[in-house]
Amino acid sequence: MMKKKRIVAMLTAAAIAVSLTGCGTSASDGTSAASGGGNQGESGTADENTLTVWCWDPAFNIRAIETAGKLYQKDHPDFNLQIIETPWEDVQTKLTTAATSGNLDTLPDILLMQDNAFQKNVISYPDAFLDLSSSGIDFSEFSQAKVAYSTVDGKNYGVPFDNGAVIAAYRTDILEMAGYTIEDFTDITWSEYLEKGRVVLEKTGLPLLTCKGNESDVAAMMLQSAGASFFDENGEPDMADNEALKEVVSTYAELVKAGVMVEVNDWDQYIGSMTNGSVAGTINGCWIMASIQTAEDQAGKWEITNIPRLDNVPGATNYSNNGGSSWAITTNCKNKELAQDFMAETFAGSTELYEEILPATGALTCYLPAADSPVYSEPQKFYNGQSVFTLITDYAAQTPGNHTGVYYYEAKDAIAVAITNVVAGGDPDRELKNAEDTVNFVMGK
Amino acid sequence: MIKRKKVWQYGFLILASVFSVFPLYWMAVSATNRSAEVIGGRMLPGGYLLENIKNLLAAQNVGRGMFNSLKYSVILTLISLVICSLAGYGFEIYHDRMKDSVMSLLLLAMMVPFAATMIPLYQMFSGFHLLNTTLGFILPTLSTPFLIMMFRQSARSFPHDILEAARLEGLNELQIFFRMFVPTMRSTYAAAMTITFMNAWNSYLWPKVIMQDTSSMTMPMLVANLTEGYVTDYGMLMLAVLLCTIPTIVIFFILQKSFAEGITGAVK
Repeated sequence: MMKKKRIVAMLTAAAIAVSLTGCGTSASDGTSAASGGGNQGESGTADENTLTVWCWDPAFNIRAIETAGKLYQKDHPDFNLQIIETPWEDVQTKLTTAATSGNLDTLPDILLMQDNAFQKNVISYPDAFLDLSSSGIDFSEFSQAKVAYSTVDGKNYGVPFDNGAVIAAYRTDILEMAGYTIEDFTDITWSEYLEKGRVVLEKTGLPLLTCKGNESDVAAMMLQSAGASFFDENGEPDMADNEALKEVVSTYAELVKAGVMVEVNDWDQYIGSMTNGSVAGTINGCWIMASIQTAEDQAGKWEITNIPRLDNVPGATNYSNNGGSSWAITTNCKNKELAQDFMAETFAGSTELYEEILPATGALTCYLPAADSPVYSEPQKFYNGQSVFTLITDYAAQTPGNHTGVYYYEAKDAIAVAITNVVAGGDPDRELKNAEDTVNFVMGK
Repeated sequence: MIKRKKVWQYGFLILASVFSVFPLYWMAVSATNRSAEVIGGRMLPGGYLLENIKNLLAAQNVGRGMFNSLKYSVILTLISLVICSLAGYGFEIYHDRMKDSVMSLLLLAMMVPFAATMIPLYQMFSGFHLLNTTLGFILPTLSTPFLIMMFRQSARSFPHDILEAARLEGLNELQIFFRMFVPTMRSTYAAAMTITFMNAWNSYLWPKVIMQDTSSMTMPMLVANLTEGYVTDYGMLMLAVLLCTIPTIVIFFILQKSFAEGITGAVK
């Protein structure tokens, strides 16, 4: 009896041990089969002709790079892409962990990076990214505001991809009720915008603009439209005595006080305000169009134009940028020539690629030669027959660049707090001073 | 009089349960609606479930994610229960001053947040070639101070008479553990199992750092993939979240009774 039980116990233990090792090996087997045996601490793939890519959004970025891969395969039949779907937050976490722990060899060959985080990551982990300045990629063919995001000390580290040019989109049927057309909102200043917004509010009961409260996206867009930033050229915080920023904050507060702009609590409400028809327009990166277009019943009612400019700031324009992303090649890449050539022949050299991905994804090019393609000038039904893609690439070309630096996100957070306080009646000068102090504190000064 | 009091009690409890059950209801209902309807706040079941299932299966490898999550969680739970219960039992039954101070050290380790140990852990695991492996997933949480403490607490209520009697009967120490302690502590095991399984199933930060391969991703990572993008399909997202919740709900309902007992103490 005793013996039997002992045997059973031993068998169970053995079974657990076997299943454990079994799973261990099967997992790593799966890994090697999928990525060409390259993942055991050397994510850059062993197979000479395969490039590993981290990026997110199957409907957008992943579709785009898959298309690029297929195009490249035509001339290079051995070429392969290994795409690992990784949300942006995770790309950042994995990058930080790998770089901080000194295990750069776990990075992929290519990764997609949010433009606002690009300089931060290159400055923080200078060994992780490949300098592409002499890679044969012609950066002058991209919109310069975009290139500036991935440029550090005059060196190019990124291939611009996802366009973040800012648009103002309006419901023309609502504007009409107040007696306006889209032309009345083109090439205007913020004070004109406010004035017309009051009329729209009075006649229709709807605000012109919604935005997510406690977030400073709108303010950052206004600021960049004048080529200004939260930082000076040396990366020092520049907030308390920044005339452009002061005007941004007071304009923002006026818009909210007048009810022309309504702050909502979260992203879902923000999208909802547009798709439910409880707002007359929006101002955001052109990628917001994908969300607007989900309201199929509003087709033909939307039109887009450029954004208002700041009134009293020198260098103010009607163009800005919000979001977007660029491709980076890591130093861990085992076949750097291949990766550079792949980028040079697709994202930085193929009008055909952009023609193919535009209808499928709505991914707009920052590669200026592609904008002349007939696909771009095609009128869009949803936007009442406007050739929106030509318009937006034109906006992108006119957008002034600005300096994001290492602490851009921290600065944006600090400004969001300042704005909330100013809207609630705080003194703008004091709040901006506080924001600057906060950022200085984060920077360890 | 008593009746009126009951009415208040039940009224309060019903109100409280509405707050905790409603989000679950909304999740389940939203899985059957279109994305636009979810944003519009539709509360009734819709006819879009099949479409959502189709979209989800096309967008993500759900089968693989489920399989991976189950594999990692079950293996981790089983091994972790054996190790932690042995440790907790040992700390209590054979305790002396040295062991007590070791125990306090373990409890101190409980205070260290995972984020602080993550980077050195990553360095180690990358060096051992454990990225993308089951072993890499389970090792850091294989024995947790919390579980050891839980088993130690319940071993405290284990009657020493049983120990004496078993020793007189000629059982060796391991046999006492497996034949006397384990069956008596069934409900503690159930509670520990629920907690460990849930933690393993829901863990996100560590897997997201070490699982760099599409074929080794877990369910929570797939759900995160769905929220990333310029347009989120909320119907599909809710379906994925629902699928991701089901295993933990099932485990909890199976072990519900023992769970409550195990938390309050196994031996009556």
